[in-house]
Amino acid sequence: MACEPDRVRLLCMMSLTFGFFIVEVVVSRITSSLAMLSDSFHMLSDVIALVVAFVAVRFAEKTQSTSKNTFGWIRAEVMGALVNAVFLTALCFTIILEAIERFTEPREIENTRVVIWVGVGGLLVNLFGLCMFHGHAGSGHGHSHGGGHGHSHGNKKNKRNKICKAETPSGNGSSVEETNNLVGNCNSPNGVNSDRPERHDLMQENSLHIHSNTQYDELDHGDESASQLNMRGVFLHVLGDALGSVIVVVNAIIFTFVWQPCPEGGPCVNPCVDSHCMDHNHINHTLVSVLTNSTQAITSAGPCWVLYLDPTLCIIMVFILLYTTYPLLKESALILLQTVPKQIDMQLLNEKLRNVEGVLAVHELHIWQLAGSRIIATAHIKCHDPTSYMDVAKRIKDFFHNEGIHATTIQPEFVTFNSESRISLCELSCRTQCAPKLCCGNGDKPEKKATDKATGLPIPCLEIIDESPEHRGREQPPVEVENQVVARSDGEVVIQREVESSL
Amino acid sequence: MLPLSIKDDEYKPAKFNLLFKMSGWFRSILSDKTSRNLFFFLCLNLSFAFVELLYGIWSNSLGLISDSFHMFFDCTALLAGLAASVISRWRSNDAFSYGYVRAEVLAGFVNGLFLIFTAFFIFSEGVERALEPPDVHHERLLPVSIAGLIVNLIGIFVFQHGGHGHSHGDEGHGHSHSLFNGGVNHGQSHGGHGHGHESKHGHSHDHGHSHGHDHGHGHSHEDNHCHDDPCSPPAKGPNKQILQGIFLHIVADTLGSVGVIISALLMQNYNLMIADPICSMIISLLIGVSVVPLLRESIGILMQRTPPSLDHVLPECYQRVQQLQGVYNLQEPHFWTLCTDVNIGTLKLLVAPDADSRWILSQTHNIFTQAGVRQLYVQIDVAAM
Repeated sequence: MACEPDRVRLLCMMSLTFGFFIVEVVVSRITSSLAMLSDSFHMLSDVIALVVAFVAVRFAEKTQSTSKNTFGWIRAEVMGALVNAVFLTALCFTIILEAIERFTEPREIENTRVVIWVGVGGLLVNLFGLCMFHGHAGSGHGHSHGGGHGHSHGNKKNKRNKICKAETPSGNGSSVEETNNLVGNCNSPNGVNSDRPERHDLMQENSLHIHSNTQYDELDHGDESASQLNMRGVFLHVLGDALGSVIVVVNAIIFTFVWQPCPEGGPCVNPCVDSHCMDHNHINHTLVSVLTNSTQAITSAGPCWVLYLDPTLCIIMVFILLYTTYPLLKESALILLQTVPKQIDMQLLNEKLRNVEGVLAVHELHIWQLAGSRIIATAHIKCHDPTSYMDVAKRIKDFFHNEGIHATTIQPEFVTFNSESRISLCELSCRTQCAPKLCCGNGDKPEKKATDKATGLPIPCLEIIDESPEHRGREQPPVEVENQVVARSDGEVVIQREVESSL
Repeated sequence: MLPLSIKDDEYKPAKFNLLFKMSGWFRSILSDKTSRNLFFFLCLNLSFAFVELLYGIWSNSLGLISDSFHMFFDCTALLAGLAASVISRWRSNDAFSYGYVRAEVLAGFVNGLFLIFTAFFIFSEGVERALEPPDVHHERLLPVSIAGLIVNLIGIFVFQHGGHGHSHGDEGHGHSHSLFNGGVNHGQSHGGHGHGHESKHGHSHDHGHSHGHDHGHGHSHEDNHCHDDPCSPPAKGPNKQILQGIFLHIVADTLGSVGVIISALLMQNYNLMIADPICSMIISLLIGVSVVPLLRESIGILMQRTPPSLDHVLPECYQRVQQLQGVYNLQEPHFWTLCTDVNIGTLKLLVAPDADSRWILSQTHNIFTQAGVRQLYVQIDVAAM
């Protein structure tokens, strides 16, 4: 299975990191160094991130639908990625806080030798993790399907291009160039979610009842790109830790060679550290004057800038981390917000759908991404009569296949009477009570559609309830949309209310 | 004829006026009661955090400085909640066909995550302090923490006052630790009193919480009857997640202040140095436990789980649909929650060739509307016979 290597890697890394955490705790107790203890907690947070990713991978393997989770658990990986990204961001904030604390109260490092060794050990562990996860997160893997369809390993571009070539259902894995796309922007800007469902579906499934079949094929492919998001989160976490180790080692090394600590014997003044007994100026002066009167030379502890090196490096690291985490955060958040996937142009899709033969109007088109390459679409399609409906439905399904959307639910609406004026109206309007509930329906579709009925953008059911098109043209501030919309449908509301409230 | 004056203004593209945008945001914030409360509480918290920071710098106390940073951290949570409540009201567009309403679920989830992280952080600090107790200046910490407690009490009062929302089917009734119950069933305050409507479940909850506010009035409401009340826009229900997250955050902060006060008293009177870390650890555990319901709910929504409130109703509906004349089979039902109280469903029906599709469609819609699913997409597949 595709996920096996993932699990193995995660387990391996988890055990390594946990072992190292134990080592660090023990060392910190022996040397009673607080810095080591706090670093060990960083390791612990790393372990937790890995656990989260592991749990997500385990869950996402169960892609079959259960009674409670009808979509399966595949979204777990997106969630895992989001949790890791949020965790990383919170960690960055904590590091900033600690760095600021260090700025105001610089501290020397004790036991530099131990710190160097432990730091190097941590760095090795993290570099090992980086290699493991970088290798996986970067490549795709290929497998051949029953349809005589194979593709090369690690070549993600192939998969992406397959979607783009719609006319030639090339089921072969031959490397294709990026050609003109059917859909406007087919190529996603960042390469992560570039695995698209394979086109062999087109050849195998030309029947209508295809939905269940496509699930199995999508199983393997959908998992890849979804798990990529998850692995990316893990990779970033390990990267952050590696950077931290680098900083620790660099800092300790510079400290050993540049810093001149106070020698054991003899008086010494440490100008960088604000110790409490030096609080009062006159005590300070007295002490210094007493010391200067003696014949011994006073050593002062080494250059102060060394103490500020640590927090500075930390802040630089935080910026690097935030910069790399932000795309992951954004991407997983967008998926969870039910956005239209990047590669799909709604306007274009709408127009093309409208141009399909037999389709009179399209309402309530919603396209969203479940996880990875699984895209789900729902729409109301208005057509002439039930007898011709099945052909229209077939064409629509084919159309969606061409766009790369395989899980579609199309609700037909049949024209009740042949009046042109109502062609864009929703036959099965979702009643009047849905005004407050249709959180998607308060969009104000552009006003110019008021006159341009048949070919305009879909007008949500909500606005259609009153017949007069003049109302649609009003520009409303976003806040009052719900109220306005509700007010418009007031006319028909009265009777329905009792029905709803008896629920 | 040459024009007498040349005015280029109408041909220039509209300038990106930041001030205009911000004033737009302000208007949006101040219009809704939830976001208004959030905004004022955010300002209160921010100013308090600044005061604490300045005082800490002036008196050179590291404890106060770190505590003020902690408050800043909380302010970011409030900011996230505020941003979510504004964003979720934006209209849908081409990229977001459902609009931005999921933002509030996401905000609740992220808040919950931050809270767990905070709990973990406090726990680790508690462990560190237990192993190596630093010397804490209590005489400075005590008045500040009392002031912080007052600020948080205000917050609890503001976000608790006025009502309880619906409770989900199996959650939240009758927990023994009443402290955190308020978070689960927290709803949104109405503009005024005097609604005659009762909730679906018909009871008013009495949630005790730590500071003795007892709200006995059950303002439970359903979103159905909101349209005749201009002061309570229907977006109330959707803010439930955000408010829950914010409320838990405030409770966590309050607990922190209470813990500091208790440990300070213990240390002053009984000289128990170990009290500080132990209090921290207990508090972090409590915070962690309290977040679990919020996390479970938002994870369920984000994972496209069947809405818990529909769990019992759906099998009946399936049966009823299958008994309609002409329907052979009901396939692939998917029901999920878009945001609080908005459920969406899709299903496929296999029907006989001679069945009346229109009638089947409208009946199906009826059945599911009664169950509370208002957006339904029913695909009709005619069996080839």
